[in-house]
Amino acid sequence: MLKATLRSFLAHKGRLVLSALAVVLSVAFVSGSLIFSDTLSRTFDRLFASSAPDLTVSPKEDLKEAVPSGTTATLPAALADRVARVDGVGAARFDAEADGITVVDSRNKSVGSTTGAPTIGTDWNPTSRSPVKLTSGHAPHGADEALVDSETADRKNLRIGDSLTVIAAPGSFTVRIVGIVTFTTTNPGASLVYLDPPTAQTKLLGSASAATSISVDAADGVSNDQLKQRVAAALGTGTYEYRTAAEQAKSDIDQLGGFLDVIKYVMLGFAGIAVLVGVFLIVNTFSMLIAQRTRELGLLRALGADRRQVRRSVLTEATLLGLVASTVGLGAGIGLAVGLIALMNAFGMNIDTGEMVVGWGTPVAAYVVGVGVTFVAAYLPARRAAGVSPMAALADAEIAGIGRPLKVRGIVGGLVGAAGAAALVGCVLASRTATAASLLGLGVVLTLLATVIAGPLLVRPVIRVLGGAFPALFGPVGRMSQRNALRNPRRTGATAAALMVGLALVGGMSVASASMSKSFDDQIDKTLGADFVVQNGNFLPFPQEVTDAVRRTEGAGLVVRSRFAPVAVTLPDGKRVETTAAGYDPQLDEVAHITYARGDTAAALAPGHLAMDLDFARDHDVKVGSGIPVEFQGGRRTELTVGALTDQDSADGFGTQGGIYFGLGTLERFAPGGQESALYVNAASGTSADRLRTALERTLDRYPQVQVRDLADYKDLVHDQIAVLLYLVYALLGLAIVIAVLGVVNTLALSVVERTREIGLLRAIGLARRQLRRMIRLESVVIAVFGAVLGLALGLVWGVCTQQVLALQGMNALAIPWGTLVAVVVGSAVVGVVAALLPALRASRMNVLAAIAHE
Amino acid sequence: MATAAEDAPETAPTDGIAARARGLTKAYGGGETAVVALDAVDVDIARGRFTAVMGPSGSGKSTLMHCLAGLDTVSGGQVWLGDTEITGLKERELTRLRRDRIGFMFQSFNLIPTLNAAENITLPMDIAGKKPDEKWLDQVIDTLGLRDRLKHRPAQLSGGQQQRVACARALASRPELIFADEPTGNLDSRAGLEVLGFLREAVDQLGQTVVMVTHDPGAAAHSDLVLFLGDGRIVDSMERPTAEAVLERMKRFDVIRGQSSPGGGGSSPGDEGSPPGGAARTTPPPTT
Repeated sequence: MLKATLRSFLAHKGRLVLSALAVVLSVAFVSGSLIFSDTLSRTFDRLFASSAPDLTVSPKEDLKEAVPSGTTATLPAALADRVARVDGVGAARFDAEADGITVVDSRNKSVGSTTGAPTIGTDWNPTSRSPVKLTSGHAPHGADEALVDSETADRKNLRIGDSLTVIAAPGSFTVRIVGIVTFTTTNPGASLVYLDPPTAQTKLLGSASAATSISVDAADGVSNDQLKQRVAAALGTGTYEYRTAAEQAKSDIDQLGGFLDVIKYVMLGFAGIAVLVGVFLIVNTFSMLIAQRTRELGLLRALGADRRQVRRSVLTEATLLGLVASTVGLGAGIGLAVGLIALMNAFGMNIDTGEMVVGWGTPVAAYVVGVGVTFVAAYLPARRAAGVSPMAALADAEIAGIGRPLKVRGIVGGLVGAAGAAALVGCVLASRTATAASLLGLGVVLTLLATVIAGPLLVRPVIRVLGGAFPALFGPVGRMSQRNALRNPRRTGATAAALMVGLALVGGMSVASASMSKSFDDQIDKTLGADFVVQNGNFLPFPQEVTDAVRRTEGAGLVVRSRFAPVAVTLPDGKRVETTAAGYDPQLDEVAHITYARGDTAAALAPGHLAMDLDFARDHDVKVGSGIPVEFQGGRRTELTVGALTDQDSADGFGTQGGIYFGLGTLERFAPGGQESALYVNAASGTSADRLRTALERTLDRYPQVQVRDLADYKDLVHDQIAVLLYLVYALLGLAIVIAVLGVVNTLALSVVERTREIGLLRAIGLARRQLRRMIRLESVVIAVFGAVLGLALGLVWGVCTQQVLALQGMNALAIPWGTLVAVVVGSAVVGVVAALLPALRASRMNVLAAIAHE
Repeated sequence: MATAAEDAPETAPTDGIAARARGLTKAYGGGETAVVALDAVDVDIARGRFTAVMGPSGSGKSTLMHCLAGLDTVSGGQVWLGDTEITGLKERELTRLRRDRIGFMFQSFNLIPTLNAAENITLPMDIAGKKPDEKWLDQVIDTLGLRDRLKHRPAQLSGGQQQRVACARALASRPELIFADEPTGNLDSRAGLEVLGFLREAVDQLGQTVVMVTHDPGAAAHSDLVLFLGDGRIVDSMERPTAEAVLERMKRFDVIRGQSSPGGGGSSPGDEGSPPGGAARTTPPPTT
């Protein structure tokens, strides 16, 4: 039996290639992402472990910064001397570092990386653990000398002697490059500027006695943990945090981890799509192979093979396919990882390909995914194969499975679909975001499942409509292609399902994102009253100096500042909520239209008062006049009185739960040292908006990190942020389409083989090659469009439900991007044409006589 | 008068000839291993007659039909359909020729499973984008008794009914020539007789020209003229055949086959591995 299986596997290897390709793709993405993230982890582990001091002392930060406030927490530099005197300390020195600075060259162009990696200014205090070494020039001395890293220098063509302007929180200053440092380890992508320590303190931190952390080396024979205990005992645990080298490395990696995780999850997302779509392909291929081999299997059964043996034979074939495809996929995964590393290097993150790590988990995952998926996908077809009766050997069964009723599918699909629909209805009706979101997730999964199961049932009605015009448009060729697509609903359904999954995702995401964009537009129209907004494109804070420059700009009238600070509020119902609060200048009403349920802007921004969202207040028993204890960073506490409650469409953004805000004075008092997040600027009377814009742009020329935007520009900025999400979805779609095309090619190729005699007959009685090709192309198009229509219909429902969830967050507008949807349908028709190219060519090249005589 | 012409005049076919071949040669492979399926065959197919082509397996009878019908390329010689020389036509022209001027019936798998009987019948004309002659079509459908089966799919028809639909398709466009390749091979005798009867009627009442390849003497007996093929040549012909006479003639093939191997250098016609030709050449050319 094994011999027969092997023979069969080898005999069908051509037909298995496309299925194998789907497995290869998913395995490649799984193993590629694992190798890549293992390699990055290893690289950064090494970097941080080698560069972290035995112990780091830093100011304690109780609150997480969900929205950057622009503050740099400091401690007294003199602390280093106190630490140095602690028993067991070998050496202690302070660090003065600021990581949100902007450095521009003589033409006012930022020297920082364009990928969002930070520009870091720090003190030059080389030790054996420094990640860089001075490779040319000399160490910086005095207020106007600096070093830059060689990668930044190469990228921006900087040389020793060039001057740079550093825009730091305390103000801008100009330095001359006196030396270049080179990384001895991997650079995660940041641009570095080194200053001499006193300059770093005064110019970056704004105080000659401030530092950002103390680096401590242990004396001989003292372990890092002992060192931590002793230093903590000497300084107290209230104000400072202590991290050993291991803890510091871990914390650094955690910080970077978010970024690494994103890459990893994106890759795994791709792998998931590939696996999901691949399953359809494999199920389809095996179903078709078995259908074609019905007589052969019947003969095996007639000769005495029992059901189990037949089933095992098919599954063994699937396992073989899985093994081969996994091996190829693993190799492709290594290639993918090399490509990703090269891509990272192109973005300024230097990772040595030679340090690539292939952990034992990678091949295990590769084979588990590859073989597992193939095995599972082949299981149903294998069972069907086992069900072939010995009589099939004698019967002239053209295609098995064609006549089997779809009743069970209909019932199961109907039930699952009903459950999914119920979940979606529940999602629309739900009033709590968390409930609605989980119901949405459930509904999406169930409706997808239902559509896949019941898909074959929808083939007839939908394709009747889709291909209804074919006979009229394309004559008998159109009629035959429409009927061919209807011929085996299971096969058509499964083939289209691969495309459907991807397009449903895209449909849903595009409706959701269009709705988000429209909601934001509506909100911006409704609330923003300023002529211009001055802001960083990534919403990062910028120094006071920019505000001053904007204020001095000719024609600038009112300038309202806004800042953010992390806070924790204790509410009357006893809950403690960590969130981000905003602070505004008192003239807020001049630049924004805020609807209040109670109170007004004056009451909200008055000293000692705050405002919050009405719904949030209701949920937590907050009333106007309630006293709310508020904690700020660094342990500052106060109690603020609720002065106003707002009734905005969207109070909750990301990390700004409760929509809390107060006067900028209050924020400045309890969270000093922050930087502005946005400036709302109105033109002075007598100045046109255009003139002010020109003037502002001239002013901001020196500060490339901020831009001036009017209402329309501001909307564009928000759209761009949402679009990033869409690009990712489109990339996923691309992959899904590639695999779906493979599926369509696969189905058509096998159908062409199956219909060899029919094609021969058609050619004999006078069907031209061109007509034959068109027939296959049209069939392909109708299958692809069927998948697209099904997918988009499903995606549309998902998108509308998603919008309902978003509405709970204040995003009330529903927008359906009809243009995109139509484009997707047209695109799917193109996909159909492309998929049909090879099968059609093959069919038209068939020898007529051989085809007629084909058994 | 249809016959295998003896002295092949290189002229265009005259009236009354539906198809003609001169020096038609078909060889498979090349060099030492070449197998000659047709060896310089000269043949005229008379218009308005029912011609049967008989011969043992491997005698080249199907190849002859395929070459005459423009389904297969020839290695040498010329073939005309009516006034058109089809040897040397391009693939596209051959396709059009088959579509517009020739009707086909095969042994099995004659119909497109996705199309109903009526659609199958008019398929060649539909492909050509031509309107069928409704009166003629009605006549054909009624002659074949398919009136109440028109909406049926092939799977819903019996084997005999399927062959009748194929016959109707072959007749529908009133082609110059109908080729039937073992049309009764897959049918029981009653259904087979029915189909043969219809082919006969097509010739007698509808004035069609039919060439049928068969190995069944009973089937051949329905024709006006039987051409016997052996080892790639036309070795004999028989006017107004009867089943018995045809059977007798076929038996002689077996005798020749049994005797010819030493002297003639020929081998059994079914044995395609050895060079044929010897036996055929030793056989006296048939005369009218």
